[in-house]
Amino acid sequence: MLLDLRVSFFLALRGILRGSRGSLYLTVLIIAMVFTNMIFMPSIILGFIKVAEDQIITYQTGNILISPHEDELYIEDVFSLLEKINRIPGVLRASAHYGTGVTLRYKGNSLGSTVVAIKPDDERLVTDVYRKMADGDYLADGENDEIIIGIQTSGHKDESLDMGPTLGYLKAGDPVTVEYTNGVRKVYHVKGIIETGSYYADQGAYITWDELESVFGRKVDYATDIIIKTDPDSYEPEVKTQIYRFGIREKVQTWQDILEEAMGRAVQNFAMLNSITIVVSLIIAIVVLFIVIMIKTLNSRRQIGVLKALGVEKSIIIHNYVFQVLILTTLGIIVGTTLVESMVAILTVYPFQFPDGEVTPVVATSDLINNTIMLYIASFIAGYIPAWRVASEDILTAMRS
Amino acid sequence: MIIAENLTRVYDMGKVTVHALRGVSLTIQKGEFVGIMGASGSGKSTLLHLLGLLDKPTEGKIVLGGIDVRTLNERQRTRFRLKRLGYVFQDYALVPELTVEENVYLTSMIRGTSKEEYQAQTFQILDRIGLSDRLTHKHNELSGGQQQRVAIARAMVNKPEILFADEPCANLDSESSRNVLDLFKQINKEMAQTIVMVSHEDWHMEYFDRVIILRDGQIVSDGPPPEELLEKACKYK
Repeated sequence: MLLDLRVSFFLALRGILRGSRGSLYLTVLIIAMVFTNMIFMPSIILGFIKVAEDQIITYQTGNILISPHEDELYIEDVFSLLEKINRIPGVLRASAHYGTGVTLRYKGNSLGSTVVAIKPDDERLVTDVYRKMADGDYLADGENDEIIIGIQTSGHKDESLDMGPTLGYLKAGDPVTVEYTNGVRKVYHVKGIIETGSYYADQGAYITWDELESVFGRKVDYATDIIIKTDPDSYEPEVKTQIYRFGIREKVQTWQDILEEAMGRAVQNFAMLNSITIVVSLIIAIVVLFIVIMIKTLNSRRQIGVLKALGVEKSIIIHNYVFQVLILTTLGIIVGTTLVESMVAILTVYPFQFPDGEVTPVVATSDLINNTIMLYIASFIAGYIPAWRVASEDILTAMRS
Repeated sequence: MIIAENLTRVYDMGKVTVHALRGVSLTIQKGEFVGIMGASGSGKSTLLHLLGLLDKPTEGKIVLGGIDVRTLNERQRTRFRLKRLGYVFQDYALVPELTVEENVYLTSMIRGTSKEEYQAQTFQILDRIGLSDRLTHKHNELSGGQQQRVAIARAMVNKPEILFADEPCANLDSESSRNVLDLFKQINKEMAQTIVMVSHEDWHMEYFDRVIILRDGQIVSDGPPPEELLEKACKYK
């Protein structure tokens, strides 16, 4: 058996090295394209999901989000709760949010939005929004009459970059009027403009907790949510369990839970799209390789008949063509991987621009391995069937062809 | 030794039935150089294919080297061809992707001969037929006569019990044909090689020890080359 395989490999290698160069290059190129197609689409989807993950963690919810219990509107006694949470192992910092609906007005433009009250010193330790000031500065604890606004609400100088209605190019230092649902109407000084690249974060507006209390005219010891940054070495689901163990009865979600809730359906659709792409690619690979080997074997029918007449086993002839296909596939995968890696390198420098940020393809090793295995199986089938058909012919029929 | 008894081969071609061989019996001794001759359609190639295990008779028995080949399954027939028979075809049938030496030692590789041994054997046989300087050449770098000599080397490298040749000179000019036939004769004499060769050229008879002439699927003559045909052949030559 081993000897037969050795002879098959010998014939396959000679067949490829001394066969038509043009056919070899074209076949390898097609397999490389198929492989690239199989890898590239999932890498974009994975990149997209990665961006969503990063943005959720970095600009929106931190690693863990605590929301009010389902029967309640607010998280009560929030500051003692924050102290408790900050003591939990694995928690780096927790920050309370109070979000309220408002109407923003600037030079005749008005826009419904949400203003979120934060403790800036806590927030800096949880999100990276403070690093993303396109204009002006971030808030500081205790500041009143100041507001920072996301660029998708303030508006770009170039309107074509706006993804929805805006206030019409509001800049740091400009006045903006905020109307609260309790009837308070107040003019704020815009301290800064946020531009994170995350559409969600860039739509928001932030004031300090002290400002919120001045608007409400009382102490506010309740929040609409708490966001938590965890230690990079800790595992969020474990921290979530720890939080529950500390007797917190609010709804606790890790970023994975939130992503699943927000994007679960989208991820499923992406996965389906991905499967369709892979199936189509595999069919193309099978058809191409089938045709290549079919043509090779049909052109070599007489040759195959002669080899059988000389005493060469049918299995050696079949394995010869199967090896040829596997060698072509290997070359195709090598070229394809090089192409994918080159494209990833280019797209890392010049990423795709999506509303939710810059997407860079992410090639998962598991995708590379799985698709390589699938392509090898497809190639095996595509090489085996035509080789088997011709090699199974009667010697004289083959020799007379 | 080859023993064939009452060989019949019938081809069913749709509504037509063709009787290619009708009860052919013969015995070929070891070391004989036998020519099978006859007009086109007389059944000479069919007989060679049956004796060479490339086809199966509709009826009849073939014994090669003491083995009744009817008892062999397909795999055993393949092994039998590989180990005990050699073939030379009309159009040389060299593997185009292989060099001269690779074409010659391919069947030795399959037989499991060691690399050193099959390379030595290959060089030896190619040297014998005067092509040892063409080891790494490809088939398209050789003349027709040279290709046929390589095909003979390929058939002979494993020292087969019987060498079958199906019109090996059909595509060659007369000089190349003579060279090939001289080589066959040399192999036959020096190595006591049994050779069964199909030919339709009368002048080839002078090389054969024995000529079997077929007509309509039956043997009409079997014996040493007829004198009158040899004379005719010499005139032609």
